[in-house]
Amino acid sequence: MGPAITRDRSASETRQDALFRWMLFGSAALVLVVLGAAALSMLWGGRQAFQTFGWRFILSDEWDPVGRHFGAFVPIYGTLVSSAIAMLIAVPVSFGIALFLTEIAPNWLQAPIAAAVELLAGIPSIIYGMWGLFSFVPFMSGHVLPWINDHLGPVPWLGALFRGPPLGIGMLTAGIVLGIMVIPFISSVMRDVFRTVPASLKESAYALGSTTWEVVWKVVLPYTRSAVVGGIFLGLGRALGETMAVTFVLGNAHQLSASLLMPGNSIAATIANEFTEADSDIYLSSLIALGFLLFVVTLIVLAIARLMLSNLARREGR
Amino acid sequence: MPNETPLIHTVTHASGEAGAGDQAAPPRSKIEVKALDFFYRGYHALKNVNLHIPEQQITAIIGPSGCGKSTLLRVFNRIYSVYAGLEATGEVLLDGENILDARFSLNRLRTRVGMVFQKAVPFPLSIFENVAFGLRHHLRLSRGEMDDRVEKALREAALWDEVKDKLHTSALGLSGGQQQRLCIARAVALRPQVLLLDEPTSALDPIATGRVEQLLADLQREYTIVIVTHNMQQAARVSAYTAYMYLGEMVEFGSTAELFTRPQRRQTEDYITGRFG
Amino acid sequence: MQSTRGLILRRRTSNVVSKLLGIAATGFGLSWLIWILIVTLLNGARALSPRIFTEMTPPPGADGGLANALVGSTLMSVLGVLIGAPLGIAAGTYLAEFAERRPVWRESIRFVNDILLSAPSIVLGLFVYTVLVRQVGHFSGISGALALALIVLPVVVRTTDETLRLVPNMMREAALSLGIPRWKVTVQVLYRAALPGILTGVLLGLARITGETAPLLFTALNNQFWSPNLNGPTASVPVVIFQFAMSPYDAWHSLAWAGAFVVTMVVLVLSVGARAFLLKNRMDSNA
Repeated sequence: MGPAITRDRSASETRQDALFRWMLFGSAALVLVVLGAAALSMLWGGRQAFQTFGWRFILSDEWDPVGRHFGAFVPIYGTLVSSAIAMLIAVPVSFGIALFLTEIAPNWLQAPIAAAVELLAGIPSIIYGMWGLFSFVPFMSGHVLPWINDHLGPVPWLGALFRGPPLGIGMLTAGIVLGIMVIPFISSVMRDVFRTVPASLKESAYALGSTTWEVVWKVVLPYTRSAVVGGIFLGLGRALGETMAVTFVLGNAHQLSASLLMPGNSIAATIANEFTEADSDIYLSSLIALGFLLFVVTLIVLAIARLMLSNLARREGR
Repeated sequence: MPNETPLIHTVTHASGEAGAGDQAAPPRSKIEVKALDFFYRGYHALKNVNLHIPEQQITAIIGPSGCGKSTLLRVFNRIYSVYAGLEATGEVLLDGENILDARFSLNRLRTRVGMVFQKAVPFPLSIFENVAFGLRHHLRLSRGEMDDRVEKALREAALWDEVKDKLHTSALGLSGGQQQRLCIARAVALRPQVLLLDEPTSALDPIATGRVEQLLADLQREYTIVIVTHNMQQAARVSAYTAYMYLGEMVEFGSTAELFTRPQRRQTEDYITGRFG
Repeated sequence: MQSTRGLILRRRTSNVVSKLLGIAATGFGLSWLIWILIVTLLNGARALSPRIFTEMTPPPGADGGLANALVGSTLMSVLGVLIGAPLGIAAGTYLAEFAERRPVWRESIRFVNDILLSAPSIVLGLFVYTVLVRQVGHFSGISGALALALIVLPVVVRTTDETLRLVPNMMREAALSLGIPRWKVTVQVLYRAALPGILTGVLLGLARITGETAPLLFTALNNQFWSPNLNGPTASVPVVIFQFAMSPYDAWHSLAWAGAFVVTMVVLVLSVGARAFLLKNRMDSNA
């Protein structure tokens, strides 16, 4: 047979390995750089607005491109309210779906239904926007909003939320569309997390005579509590930053109103709608400043989500 | 000493003698382990191990689960270095050179010490490419030479007849026993001097196991073989020398015949007679 | 006995009710999916015609097609993947294979990557606007591609990282024990073993950027005309949909639906295709 290997290329191989490792490290570090640079660049772009308006930027509800006076309150309010409505809808529905997929559905049904729910996540936001504007809005203004206005509007105190012309576009519509968008994210986290509960834990509960519901409420949920919260925060992070779906149906109106039936504005929608119209530096800077605020808030929410989710992973020993 | 039927029934060695290890003069040491300690993220896994692995013989390392036999094997080709937190102190001399020295090239070490693992891990390539993989990197061979080397390696692993018509199909289509023999072919293609086998037949059925054991007896002519096994009967069948380890320590080493019939240490005797483990 | 019977009844009721609510919630969620898909496919199909692929975007009120937008989107998406995927694979490889002695770096990068994965894409568009478009002085398809690359990056990082971690350690060790340097082991053995998963990640990244609108608004802007030169404003399907849908013209609405149809179909094919591809390859390797 041939000779045993005598060539020793260890020096060059060590160099090759080192070069390879550096290239990979550089790419990985890029991830950190991107996040940091994004935050910094928007802070820089928004500095004129921050410097000019100071803290009042966040609190002011003025939006005057002509007089060059901008305040973030209306978009912030819109972002928060639409996201809150979205969460009110998405969280219970996602929980129900996760419950269905883990405890109720027969085995053969689980994969297809789960895939279908994931499809909801895959639909681009602009499609939600199109459907929202052309299909959902007429539905709301034709059937739902008049009913709400008539039946919930007169209620004292709370009714103020539900009074208004049935325009169709508005905070409630946007909140609902956002909610639908966010459902698959929360439900898939919940489902993954429910499945990590050790079978022996659930089986002992069943052996003691618990019903399915009791096992879920008293065993599964407490076990997965922090990850479930993490999933909810993940959904919230998505909802806050959502642009196109909201832009189409929120109305792009810089006005504050208690009523959910009235149009409003969100940070992302404002930026998307008015970016090309920004005709002064301060206008542009205000828009970028809005972007910075959005970024910081979503960053915090997503960081919390990630922390809570990795807590469970750590407990699993992963 | 218990008067039991010896557990040995040997596979025919190339020299024709059964139990070729009962000779008076011990063969030369291929690997000398001197005061080896191994730490596994702070856990003291190997404690002051001293051992001589004889050249061109089959040495088995046996012991209960967790005794450190696989860890010891992995020191011989320093495969542990790819993980963080694993550290070896002491000396391991291969033909007189200390392989634990930081200056000793890992890649060069591994061309002289090959390894076969518990579970057959063929690469996601064709059968031919699996065997040729190491060859392609280390040697500059012509097409004909490469074909020759691959064929010879497959013949040495007793796999050639079964795969010669499908060399370029995926290795993943072979049975478990065939895949393991492929991994052996892959390792011997580089013509290392030492072959390390970590429980190579634990995932195989008895027939496949028998074939691999016969294979080892043939390979022993050219290679120094160290085999870790939890199966004492296998150690007795296959090896000329046996080392018994317990809780990270080398308890006893000797010719297989002696260790199994007249063990010198109480611990060894307890393990062999099945009192624990 | 009365209270026991009442307790059992309550427990049974809550069990049944919760199951019904679970089924209702799933039905609720799925019916929105069906509604959206039906509306998109019906309206889109109605608006489809060969002109979509042959004519350019028309001026307000006129008829036309989406050819320039389709080409622009394709060019920017492909370029975005060409930039983002290799970087993502490299970063994911680092995390899975080469960071064993630096757990702090490794976990920080994973953490930040997960945040980037869910970060609002509009923010990434603003980022590219500030560092590239502003500096260069004009909108361009290249900045659009860059913004898209930033969206692809974390997706590919994550799938590469996870896929490589699934490759059994023994395979790594087996290749190393042949005396092969680590970079070759990674490239010639591990990547081959992990290829289905990595490719799936790239396809999913592509699916994700197919419908992205916001980041393109500030980078590639839009172009009414033929724009194969990526160094200037480039048309893209999502931006055209945005512009046309928000307008008052019916002809433009129709084109917007056609665009929505194309986008949806591409996303569906990519997503389903990616998953099917992964499934098929998993089965093959277990044969």
